[in-house]
Amino acid sequence: MSWLEKPVKALLLDISGVLRDGDQAIVGSLEAFQRLQEIGIPFRLVTNETQVTVQKTVEKLSKLGFTSISPSLIFAPAPAVATFLKETLSRAFLLVHPNVLPEFDGIETSDPNCVVVGDAAEHFNYSRLNEAFRVLLRLREENKEMQLYSLGKGKYYKEEDGLCLDLGPFTAALEYATGADARIFGKPNPVFFHAAVQDMKMSPDEVVMIGDDILGDVGGAQRAGLRGVLVRTGKFRISDENHATVKPDGIVDNLLQAVNLIMSHYN
Amino acid sequence: MILKMFRRTSFLTNKVLNEWDNRIQCFFIDLSGTVHVDKELIPGAINAFEKLKKTQTKFKFVTNTSKEAVSTTVQNLDSLGLQLSKQEVYSSLTATRDYLVRNNLRPHLLVADEALEEFESLDTNDPNTVVVGLAPMKFNYKELNECFRILMKPENKIVAINKGRYYKTRDGMSLGAGPFVFNLEFATSKEATIVGKPSKEFFINAMKSIGHEDPSTCVMIGDDVNDDVMGAIEAGMHGCLVKTGKYRPGDEDKLFSVGGDPEPYPAKERCLVANTLEDAINLLLP
Repeated sequence: MSWLEKPVKALLLDISGVLRDGDQAIVGSLEAFQRLQEIGIPFRLVTNETQVTVQKTVEKLSKLGFTSISPSLIFAPAPAVATFLKETLSRAFLLVHPNVLPEFDGIETSDPNCVVVGDAAEHFNYSRLNEAFRVLLRLREENKEMQLYSLGKGKYYKEEDGLCLDLGPFTAALEYATGADARIFGKPNPVFFHAAVQDMKMSPDEVVMIGDDILGDVGGAQRAGLRGVLVRTGKFRISDENHATVKPDGIVDNLLQAVNLIMSHYN
Repeated sequence: MILKMFRRTSFLTNKVLNEWDNRIQCFFIDLSGTVHVDKELIPGAINAFEKLKKTQTKFKFVTNTSKEAVSTTVQNLDSLGLQLSKQEVYSSLTATRDYLVRNNLRPHLLVADEALEEFESLDTNDPNTVVVGLAPMKFNYKELNECFRILMKPENKIVAINKGRYYKTRDGMSLGAGPFVFNLEFATSKEATIVGKPSKEFFINAMKSIGHEDPSTCVMIGDDVNDDVMGAIEAGMHGCLVKTGKYRPGDEDKLFSVGGDPEPYPAKERCLVANTLEDAINLLLP
């Protein structure tokens, strides 16, 4: 378990696949979460969740028993891109889930000069994708840059009833259709990890990211200079243990095992 | 410049024809732009067809459509005055069907309802292949997720009829099938096999459907220098570019090099240029 050799001063935790699976807490995660709060190790929840607002995420976690999480502990892509859109005075076509629209209050949406893709799930339909495509095509024809912002680029995630397409394949579809290159807000963009690390006043090599997505969580964290530990819960598949490009710093059964290992190593 | 090209073209035509003599045994003829443009037959098209039938030459009309069944294509041509039988038309859908049958595949069909007719009698239980055609009505989350779940079984495959990025519709450009094939390729880290026109698979399957094994005995006649002529040549066939439909002056330069001595170009010896389909048939079936 090489990831324990250097001090683990703070943690970044993924939510879906580490704390919960769909509408259920993952076995052991509640206990793990309580232990973390007891030992007082700093942490941030780093999620690519874009079907709902941060506020709703906090509520859902609370209902499952993960209480006393302040919204400021959660790092999610929608608020990050909304800030960026405001700073750049962008006018956005929002291909996002209706439930996350509140994060975009105040963003101009008429005569769009960029496209934002979030996890729209069942709201990904041909008509909306075609509209987004036409915004990008028009920018290309006007010799302007095709600004395509993607809130993460995950391929799929796990729900109770099985694996589900994430937004990544839909961003990829728009890239294929137009030749645009999406800018990623959220995992695995190193900027996203660094924002959470800096918020805890840490440096990347002091922090361990725990997640179920070998590419987005583990690979992304490693490229940002953190250690990346893979859990065997959530969307984990056996083939991830022998991934062609990403070698996790550690692989654990679940969050509880990770926390227990941290505690026993530092006692 | 134009005169130089014309002279070179006819010199090459004779040179090429001599080389081809007695080799061409079957004809593949594009429909849209070569036989007709929208609702009008191109002059001489019926003559060409009748000559093919009279000389008992093997032929098939080919089309890229993946949104309509062959029976619909035949009906539409009939209303223009060209009576073909279903067996005389080979579409991207036919090629897809042949590919599935030849490889013993059980398809989950993400194709337009109008196209389903081409796949009747195929076993679709416990599918091990997802087939993607141009199906805007089905390019939504629910349908794509179903395809995705089938494809997450390691041995299951993606078959794409084609990967066009977008196409012209009444109210502007619209997403083609390509982005949705890419959607599934990205999600599953798998690569689709493309079987519709102008893929190599298409031309090979068309040739096999006519009982031939050697592509150099076949010629493809069409107005699209890329999808008709180059596509066929890349499959090992001969090509004949006609100056109707989509053809634009200078298209043949993509086949011949320009200026000075023509450099050896893979397509050159295997391609002719003719004004219309009728001229092409007269050149090739004296």
